[in-house]
Amino acid sequence: MAKNDRGQPGVYRRALLTGLWRENPTFRLLIGMCPPLAVTTAVKPALTMGLSVIFVLVCSNLVVSLMRGLLKPHLRIIMFTLTIATFVTICDLYLKAFQPDMSEILGAYVPLIIVNCLIIFRAEACASKCGLVVSVLDAIGMGSGFTIALCILAGIRELLATGRVFDFQVMPAGFVPWLAMQMPVGAFVTLGLLLGLANIVTGKEPD
Amino acid sequence: MNKIKYFIQQSWLLIASSFCFGLLIAIANAGLSPRIEQNEINKRNRLLGAMLPDAKNFIALDTEIEIESVQGKKEKVEVYRAVSEANECVGWSFNAAGPGFADQIVLVVAVDKSFEKIAGFDVLSSSETPGFGDQIKYDYYRSQFKGAPTGQLKLVSIGEPRKIDSEIVGITGATVSSGAVVDILDTFLTGIKARMKEKGLIGNGKE
Repeated sequence: MAKNDRGQPGVYRRALLTGLWRENPTFRLLIGMCPPLAVTTAVKPALTMGLSVIFVLVCSNLVVSLMRGLLKPHLRIIMFTLTIATFVTICDLYLKAFQPDMSEILGAYVPLIIVNCLIIFRAEACASKCGLVVSVLDAIGMGSGFTIALCILAGIRELLATGRVFDFQVMPAGFVPWLAMQMPVGAFVTLGLLLGLANIVTGKEPD
Repeated sequence: MNKIKYFIQQSWLLIASSFCFGLLIAIANAGLSPRIEQNEINKRNRLLGAMLPDAKNFIALDTEIEIESVQGKKEKVEVYRAVSEANECVGWSFNAAGPGFADQIVLVVAVDKSFEKIAGFDVLSSSETPGFGDQIKYDYYRSQFKGAPTGQLKLVSIGEPRKIDSEIVGITGATVSSGAVVDILDTFLTGIKARMKEKGLIGNGKE
């Protein structure tokens, strides 16, 4: 597969760009939906979560791709989980050491990256079948698509819930904050509307 | 013999990876844990400084204080004497922990020098439900404890939150979390107060 990676034209570009829109994990594939609903009350935690997912995704895809020739079919899931758990633990320790406030805000959702199906899905669908470069580019693309989706959701929720984005006052002084946007209902409503918008943009017809 | 050979053939990658990943986590933990511990100390001092503004330093007691925890187990508590610039005791502080709704709640608690009134508490770590249980961190809930007596705290559903007494008005929609905080504080305050009285650390006018 690694030889084929180089043989097909535009394979690197496709690996990098697919996750941004055509197979965006949040808006098109609807996988790894826990963080989009749970940590999008503000842009800063959403961005931290997105960068954490990119780190874990890149590292796990890299390791899985390197060991893909040695993987036995019945042990592959446990190997993926072991790999992902290792990098999530390192990421969690790093956040606690260098971003303690963000680590506190994100709380249990950082360790929960271990069970984010986006990461195990990419390990299974891409890294265990493709070469190193394609796997890493795929991880960057998918992770970036996920991060962008988190930031869009968080931006809308933070703006409507507080009138501010990234600590900058955006709404006029008379704006009445929509506190519901900070609650779970705000996450579901915003995500639903964005998914509907994504379907309109892509021209997807209802089944 | 064949069984062992088969086992090794099947699982060598898993065993080797477990060892390597374990080593990686151990290195990360060794490198980052001093900084994480320092962050926790800084946070604790910052929170306690707001509760006991006259305190300039917190000195751990040499005496061991053992109490019965919320779960009924024996637990050693590290109690700190808060001292002013003139080296006079201005209060006491300790960490208190117990089960919350989702996970363990860890509090940092400050009391006055005679151990009769709560100077305040703050949440060091918790994983309570965002929007509901995590309101235990909010000022309007925590302010009920400031000045409350250090014994027999009681959770009530209806009452006047601004009245400072042993009755704590729970958070609507988060009865378990608000009850957990009351239980943790009550257990630790009564337990520590009794042990410290036994050891002659309070109640003898020498505080």
